[in-house]
Amino acid sequence: MPEIAPLQIAQFGAGRIGQIHASNIAALKDARLRYVVDVNAAAAQKLAARYGAKVVSEREAFADREVGAVLIASSTDTHARLAIAAARAGKPIFCEKPIDLSLKKVDDCLAEVQKAGVPMFVGFNRRFDPSFSALKRRLDAGEVGAVEQVVITSRDPAPPPLAYLKVSGGMFRDMTIHDFDMARWLLGEEPVEVFAWGEALVDPKIAKAGDIDSAMLILRTASDKMCHINNSRRAVYGYDQRIEVFGARGLLRAENLGETTVEQFTARGTVSDRPLDFFLERYAEAYRIELASFVSALKQESEMPVGAHDGRRALVLAEAAIKSLKSGKAELIP
Amino acid sequence: MITFALFGAGRIGKMHAENLARRSDAKLLYVVDPKPEAARALAEPLGAKQATEEQAFGDPAVQAVLIASSTGSHADLSIAAAQAGKAIFCEKPVDLTLPKVEKCIAAVKKAKVPMFVGFNRRFDPSFRSLKQRLDDGAIGKVEQVIITNRDPGLPEMRFLATSGGLFLDFTIHDFDMARWLLGEEPVEVFARGAVLVDPRVKTEGNDIDTAMLMLRTASGKMCQISNTRRAVYGYDQRIEVFGSKGMLRAGNVTPTTVERSGGDGTCGDNPWPNFQTRYAAAYAAELSSFINSVERRKPSEVPPEDSRRVLLLCEAAQKSAITGKPIRVPKN
Repeated sequence: MPEIAPLQIAQFGAGRIGQIHASNIAALKDARLRYVVDVNAAAAQKLAARYGAKVVSEREAFADREVGAVLIASSTDTHARLAIAAARAGKPIFCEKPIDLSLKKVDDCLAEVQKAGVPMFVGFNRRFDPSFSALKRRLDAGEVGAVEQVVITSRDPAPPPLAYLKVSGGMFRDMTIHDFDMARWLLGEEPVEVFAWGEALVDPKIAKAGDIDSAMLILRTASDKMCHINNSRRAVYGYDQRIEVFGARGLLRAENLGETTVEQFTARGTVSDRPLDFFLERYAEAYRIELASFVSALKQESEMPVGAHDGRRALVLAEAAIKSLKSGKAELIP
Repeated sequence: MITFALFGAGRIGKMHAENLARRSDAKLLYVVDPKPEAARALAEPLGAKQATEEQAFGDPAVQAVLIASSTGSHADLSIAAAQAGKAIFCEKPVDLTLPKVEKCIAAVKKAKVPMFVGFNRRFDPSFRSLKQRLDDGAIGKVEQVIITNRDPGLPEMRFLATSGGLFLDFTIHDFDMARWLLGEEPVEVFARGAVLVDPRVKTEGNDIDTAMLMLRTASGKMCQISNTRRAVYGYDQRIEVFGSKGMLRAGNVTPTTVERSGGDGTCGDNPWPNFQTRYAAAYAAELSSFINSVERRKPSEVPPEDSRRVLLLCEAAQKSAITGKPIRVPKN
């Protein structure tokens, strides 16, 4: 049997998340990092050199017919523009979340992608975490009957720099967006209403920057399934990522992961490891699996497991939550 | 030694009677119940006597009353006890309506008798330890409280119809826990209720069986509550408090710690199946607190004002679930 040529990937962005994706591409047999594009030439060069790729311009990357897919891991404000350019060049797209912070730009992007008929994958990495995906699979297999309540705990270890917060689009678009995606995925039904409270309890500078750092939300679907989300930008004990799904016939839970399972018993009590800290560590497997899923879906010409529509719906929920935060009322989701 | 008259020979009354009987610092003198036979059956094996309300209140040998009768009689009995000068232990809730609770508070105040309301969960050893550590500053300032409260199975439909509804009958415990753990009065409530367990809950009980709520205090502390009337794996009772310097959690308690590991995974015990078993220690400890406060003339750990505040939260939640809007909780 002839060997199938590996998928040639052009990657945009050589920053923190770009480095993760590049190393995951390198680990795949059926994919190869061909190009690295970044406004920071030195960063692009360093990353490309590590994996035997070339640094090129945007134009060159899109023009090369050998490029079978693009991976967009550049800064958020460039995602939609690059995705549109990729669509026009007929390239399948892996895009980091969010597609954009503005719904208008997301819609423009989706229209171009649809017109071009290229597959698009949005990087909601948590769906590929081995524990969360096993939970979802068992949920779908009917282990706990019909879903009734979903509880999502999502707390960051420490707030990001203020400069980042100012361009992040706010906590709901930047952080809770992952939970909105998990909520849709686990509820198995679109939420029709969101109610949100947010506060700046961690740092008054965050309030000054016009953002919040603590939040609680309730989502509800048409058939009255409900979801609780709680968020904080600062959990001193680490990156707190837990899921609980309550159903008619039981409960499924996925707890935090520590680096090891070692427990220390002393006169002062029993101590185990902190949860893995931060997302690059906690979701290392998830990043690896999501990329493999993208490549595999392309090769098999099957539907993308997380599509552009999912990216759009999560943003719609974030916008409704922001509206609720301002109005103090429950908001219907368009 | 504190002498008691018990009102109510039902399920809860029986449990309290047995807890009294185990104590060396308490003595049960009378059991009062609309069914004298039931009162006698409970009283005699414990060395007490069946009595009427008048006999119990009229006997100067009775120092305290324990009210564990049906909810509708709690306030009237408490008022009568206050007027007779007896110390009062009253099962929650004092009443389902605000005017009656306030009438009761006024009567107790006027008579200067101690009154304790049986919010048992505060006396659960784990929850109490959690609260103690919280107050000791173990996790800094409270920011988020998460309360999971799920009953193992639906009560009878005819009970639901007279219970006052899920929030008044069931979530009332969570409202008390929320106030206690937040350390600050909630100023706003948002509640969403649904009928997911059994359609008869709506058609026959005019109630809901599933709910999610959020409470908020003036300083921005928040609390989430999840409720259901049917958790097939048992009585699910958990608390999580998140603070500026960490988190405190109290998980479910199981009858044993045995785990079986096999080819199909590892399996441990389910949580205790119901409130009698789960909170057995709490029921005993709340009685200790009451007796201790009466003997040493210390203030009641759960005064009736707490029951009033909790009722205000219940009413706000009901209004919120009906209107779909967050509801402000009255300040006073």
